[in-house]
Amino acid sequence: MLNLIQDTIVHTQPESLGAAVEKAGHAHGQTDWSVAAIVALPLLACVLTGLCAALRVKSKLPAWITVASLAGAFALTLKTFAAHFMGAESHPFVVHVFDWVTFSWAADAHAQGPQTNELAANFAFYLDSLSALWMLFVTGLATLIALYASEYMSHDQGAGYCRFFAAFSLFVFSMACLVMADNLLLLYLGWEGVGLCSYLLIGYFYKKPSAVAAAKKAFIINRIGDLFLAMGVMLIFVQFGTVEYSVLFEKARPYIELARAGQFSQIPFLVKLIPCLLMGGAFGKSAQLPLYVWLPDAMEGPTPVSALIHAATMVTAGVFLIARTYPLFLLSEIALPVVAWVGALTALLSATIGMAQFDIKRIMAYSTVSQLGYMFCGLAVLSPSGGVFHVVTHAFFKALLFLCCGAVMHGFAGQLDLRKLSGVMKVPGWRIVGFGMLIGCLNLAGFPLTAGYFSKDMILAEAFVTPGTAVIGWILLITAGLTAYYTFRVFFRVFVGPVAYELGDEHHGADHGHDDGHGHGDAHGHAQAKGHADAHGHGGTHHEPHAPGWAINTVLATLAVLSLAATGLYFVGGDHGAVAGLVDQSSAGFHSPLAHHGAAEGAPAHEAGHAVVSYVPEFVHARAHGGEVHAGTIFGADPHKAMYFISAGVGAVGIFVAFWLHLAGRKSAATSRADALLPALGPIPGWAQGKWYVDEFYDFLVRKPLWVLSHIFYLIDSYLVDGLVDFIGAAPRAAGKVIRPSQSGELHGYALGMAGGLVILIVIVALVAT
Amino acid sequence: MLLMAAILIPLVSAVLIAAAPEARAKTIALLGTLAQLVIACYAATVFDWSFSSRAQLGMSVAWFEGLGVSLSLGADGVSLVLILLTGLLGPICVLASSTAITTRIRTYYAWLLVLQAAMAGVFAARDVILFYICFEFTLIPMFILISLWGSTNRRKAAIKFFLFTFTGSVVALAGLVYVTWFNATLDRGAVPQVILSQNELLGTWTFDVSTLITAGQMMSASEQAWVLLALMAGFAVKVPLFPVHTWLPLAHTEAPTAGSVILAGVLLKLGTYAIYRFALPMVPEAVALYAPHLSMLCVVGIIYGGLICWVQTDVKKLVAYSSVAHLGFCMLGMFALNNTGITGSILYMVNHGLSTGALFLLIGMIYERYHTRDMNQLGGLAAKMPVWATFMVFFTMASVGLPGLNGFVSEFLCLLGAFQASSSWGSGAWGSDIEPVAAATPGALGPWFAMIAGTGMIIAAMYLLYMVGKVVWGPLKTPHGHAGGHAGHESSGADDHPAPLPTDLSGREIVTLMPLAVLCLVLGVYPKPLMNAIQGSVDQTVAVVREPLRTHAVTGAPAKPAPASPANTHGEGAQ
Amino acid sequence: MTLAQTGAPAPMAPSTLGHYLLVSALLLVIGLIGFVTRRNLIIMFLCTELMFQAAGLAAVAFGRYHLNLTGQTLVIFILTVAAAEAAMALALVVLLFRRKESLNAEEWQDLKG
Repeated sequence: MLNLIQDTIVHTQPESLGAAVEKAGHAHGQTDWSVAAIVALPLLACVLTGLCAALRVKSKLPAWITVASLAGAFALTLKTFAAHFMGAESHPFVVHVFDWVTFSWAADAHAQGPQTNELAANFAFYLDSLSALWMLFVTGLATLIALYASEYMSHDQGAGYCRFFAAFSLFVFSMACLVMADNLLLLYLGWEGVGLCSYLLIGYFYKKPSAVAAAKKAFIINRIGDLFLAMGVMLIFVQFGTVEYSVLFEKARPYIELARAGQFSQIPFLVKLIPCLLMGGAFGKSAQLPLYVWLPDAMEGPTPVSALIHAATMVTAGVFLIARTYPLFLLSEIALPVVAWVGALTALLSATIGMAQFDIKRIMAYSTVSQLGYMFCGLAVLSPSGGVFHVVTHAFFKALLFLCCGAVMHGFAGQLDLRKLSGVMKVPGWRIVGFGMLIGCLNLAGFPLTAGYFSKDMILAEAFVTPGTAVIGWILLITAGLTAYYTFRVFFRVFVGPVAYELGDEHHGADHGHDDGHGHGDAHGHAQAKGHADAHGHGGTHHEPHAPGWAINTVLATLAVLSLAATGLYFVGGDHGAVAGLVDQSSAGFHSPLAHHGAAEGAPAHEAGHAVVSYVPEFVHARAHGGEVHAGTIFGADPHKAMYFISAGVGAVGIFVAFWLHLAGRKSAATSRADALLPALGPIPGWAQGKWYVDEFYDFLVRKPLWVLSHIFYLIDSYLVDGLVDFIGAAPRAAGKVIRPSQSGELHGYALGMAGGLVILIVIVALVAT
Repeated sequence: MLLMAAILIPLVSAVLIAAAPEARAKTIALLGTLAQLVIACYAATVFDWSFSSRAQLGMSVAWFEGLGVSLSLGADGVSLVLILLTGLLGPICVLASSTAITTRIRTYYAWLLVLQAAMAGVFAARDVILFYICFEFTLIPMFILISLWGSTNRRKAAIKFFLFTFTGSVVALAGLVYVTWFNATLDRGAVPQVILSQNELLGTWTFDVSTLITAGQMMSASEQAWVLLALMAGFAVKVPLFPVHTWLPLAHTEAPTAGSVILAGVLLKLGTYAIYRFALPMVPEAVALYAPHLSMLCVVGIIYGGLICWVQTDVKKLVAYSSVAHLGFCMLGMFALNNTGITGSILYMVNHGLSTGALFLLIGMIYERYHTRDMNQLGGLAAKMPVWATFMVFFTMASVGLPGLNGFVSEFLCLLGAFQASSSWGSGAWGSDIEPVAAATPGALGPWFAMIAGTGMIIAAMYLLYMVGKVVWGPLKTPHGHAGGHAGHESSGADDHPAPLPTDLSGREIVTLMPLAVLCLVLGVYPKPLMNAIQGSVDQTVAVVREPLRTHAVTGAPAKPAPASPANTHGEGAQ
Repeated sequence: MTLAQTGAPAPMAPSTLGHYLLVSALLLVIGLIGFVTRRNLIIMFLCTELMFQAAGLAAVAFGRYHLNLTGQTLVIFILTVAAAEAAMALALVVLLFRRKESLNAEEWQDLKG
């Protein structure tokens, strides 16, 4: 397989960029500019919507530009996918667009190794089954969500509307760069680019201080992860001399062979360090412990943004990164176990928080964090296809769930408290939203035969198959039960039961950051702009919730159908479905970059005398040589078969508990049977509702000390460092003060001084002469 | 001749402004700076980029023959790039001053143009004395700009700026004169013929830069160390490096907008350029030996400066302190002493000039409207000034180092350079290696320096987003008496504004910012031309520094965290 | 070509030089004492002139002693400068007198530190 990569990939020299594209295109009998266009179209949309803002367009034009461009990008992705990755075997290929950070220098005369060094990070795109799959759902979902947003954001038509869609398109562009990058630096560009768009969109309602704070938090916490990613990229460059995937996998092959032979002690420490650094970046972007705290706050953004960026696509970038550099993760004994533990603990922790929240969007946010934990576990228990499959199914159903919540928020004037909404499905015009929500909830809860059920099972079963990760499996299984509970808690409280609701306190156009509204005329009156929260009174004319229009309903229906249809992916093509087939042929597959190249067959699983510190060495070796290994069991049965029943049972219990506590016998929106249960649990629900006070802990542990330190530094700078400078400056002045009285200003004094000087001179001369 | 013209034209324009009536001053200044820019651009087309390491477009006229001083000009790739930057910022500064400067207009523009000439002179000089004269001559116009048109505390700021930087550079001059003396007393017979044939002036009394560089390399290690100390005394103040930076926040805060732009855009680069041009090639052994110590100062500056930014309430002071942190990155890359780092460092000079210059322009625009820079009095301006806010967010992101904009390329390369520069790579210190580590370079910095400096990226996000969050986003807040922020309020305020300012940016202001924005984007997406332009020069410098670096790495530099044992390294070399 | 070679007067005896220098020193000391003791600006100015001429006398004497023209050249310069300086100084004295209606030097102490 690796040979194939090498054959197909045209590693381009910087001078010959035109030729490179031609060559890559030639190999596949079609022009590859269509691949570049996948990236270029969203960028074009961004530029055009920006232009709309400059021209003060007040219509829905920006939305249509965006939808059209993204649909075009989706069509091109589909075309590329169909042309290259539908078959049983696919070859990665590179499309070079232009040079970016590329230069070379002569190596040190004494250096071993190559005589010239090159840093080559170009705008070039690496298409393999993994990136093509990712791009399919990114562009597809982005198109649908843009359509949804065209209606959802319509109260903000004008500059805000343009701003929204410009950032939205820029996000898709960045995401495309992230996913299709042929090198880690371009991935980093996309990585920070999506961070920027996330920042701009979370802070979309920029007059709300909470939104601004949330945006800032997201960016800064992501930057912490980014630092680790950057360090990982640098280490890769220093170690392997490249940041391009194709070359990197080739250069890493000796180490991969070692890993396959179980000889982990032969692999240098620095190589093992690489995945540990990369995972830091992944934890930041994908909101895992300890960096997950930004994602729930990110719900301050408009709901389409939450659906696309903070549920379906951007937050899965961490999963993508690990899948993309999976061969490197297999080189370390500890990298994957760490990922597994972080994922499992995050899944559990955020599920417990989600159970105690009342804001339905926040519940969805915590469920996203939790599900991302599942995906990481999937990768970490050596089931990358399970992890990626869960990314795909999750993208659809979580986007659906968010968009349904958004529809509720849109229709009920910003009401998101599940204690103030009930029986929404029975309100006229809300049927599609209700069914959409139901389908989403079934998927998320892992109800049998839904897509979410199969993808979750793949991860759960593999956790029990892989030796040493059974504890992870149990944690995930418990989390699955909690997930079913909190998911259906939302559904039973909000969508069914007696009809009762209270509208929220926001009215479209009154509070959202309509930055086009301030002409010269009304600027005086609005000197103190109204915050988001204190826009009371506008709702007075608006007592009825307004049902979603055609755009929202179409999108919800489409997504509901797609979420159900995703089940089909499990049954077509290959052992574990189409996604597994695609993953297997990419860098994340065990059978591609790890393909046999005459490795030491039958070598011991681990070297004698070298203690196995984790499950990785043994299992990588086993996978490399024997394929499936049924090393683990659950209750003595084959996990893959047993898990179908176990997880269905756990899910059913969760749903039933939610039913009993939150629907059966509920008379009003605000109270339910669960309230009676709360005192029995003591302070725990309060702590969970307070998010286990992690934010406060971080504030106390990191932000406050840093703030104090900064002030100390400033004092030092003002008084000590600058004080020293001022002191040196003042010293001559002080010296002058001492001597100054000798200057009397009297002419005769000076004359006497002169005469005296003369006498002294004469005396000296006389003394010297004699 | 072109370089001479680039220096003389602003000078001539300055004289014309002094002679012409007040009303013409602005026009002449604009034409003069534009002419300088055009000449610089034309020079770039005439320049032979395939030999960019060589000083080109040169001319030499004997000046004080008896003293060995000549009017010798010439530019290599790096110099020319910086001359272009100077030329670009000239018209922008003139445009930016158009409404801000209402008193003593002729004096202002005349000195601004003199400053432009002096800065171009620094980059074009190929004679140490000429360099020094231009280097010092930048102080006088800037002193006058700050002390006449600055804000409340301007006199203290101006005096501190002048004395602080002047004191340093006198010491640097002593260092340069020592090298001159060393060269004059050099025994030509002891110098290898190969070197002699390339430098005929070797062993004579001359101030020729390239000759002195060659001569400097022949000094003993202790002499080099002293010369390095002297040079750093002058140039580190100008950069400014950590403990000698305190003039900068004060001068930046008090200077008029154009002054801040030039200060951040070009004047700070005089220091970094001088270190690149003189310290690195002239005393390579000392630089190799002390690079870790100097880098430590850079790292301290990055974090210390960044954290101080975070607790500022004055926007301009915040951006001023951010220069301390940013220049720390720039110098860290320089002291990595490898291609990646130095390339990044020189890109950083240009990029910092663009993005921080633009931030100062934007703050100046706000100051003109609201007469305050206090973040507690300003807030949520996005609602009122969307165009301004867009530019502000854009340039903030460039400054944060967002990939796709210019700041990232240079910042990443600087950090990568520091990361690579460790002799412990591939020395077996980290476990066995199958093949040699691919892209490591000798040095004593290594990943820890990059990692700790890298936290500066996080801190940069903290303080810049804190600033944007306060000033751009949030509920609208403007100072009392400016509730409307209308043109009427402005002009009735006090003085005779020539044209009242609109609520949002005027066309002139957008024109001022646009070139910077475009360059930030272009250099972020396609930095290749710039990288190619400086590559030859960087290669040459690295080649000079590499040998001593290797020697020090083997014998073990004092500050190296994990020195490779000599035996081990020799063993590696023998393979 | 020196004066001696052109058949000019014989060299001056060292003792004769001593007499000239003695007169010169006396002139200088008289001028100095006058300058220090007197308060009248014009008298003080005259005293400085006295010291000037003392220096000129010494220069001429040395020139004659060494048989070259340097001393005389110097004196011609001194005379011209002294003339210019006298004009300037007297003008200043007149101005100062107009300010305070007094020629007392102690009236002017503005340089007091």
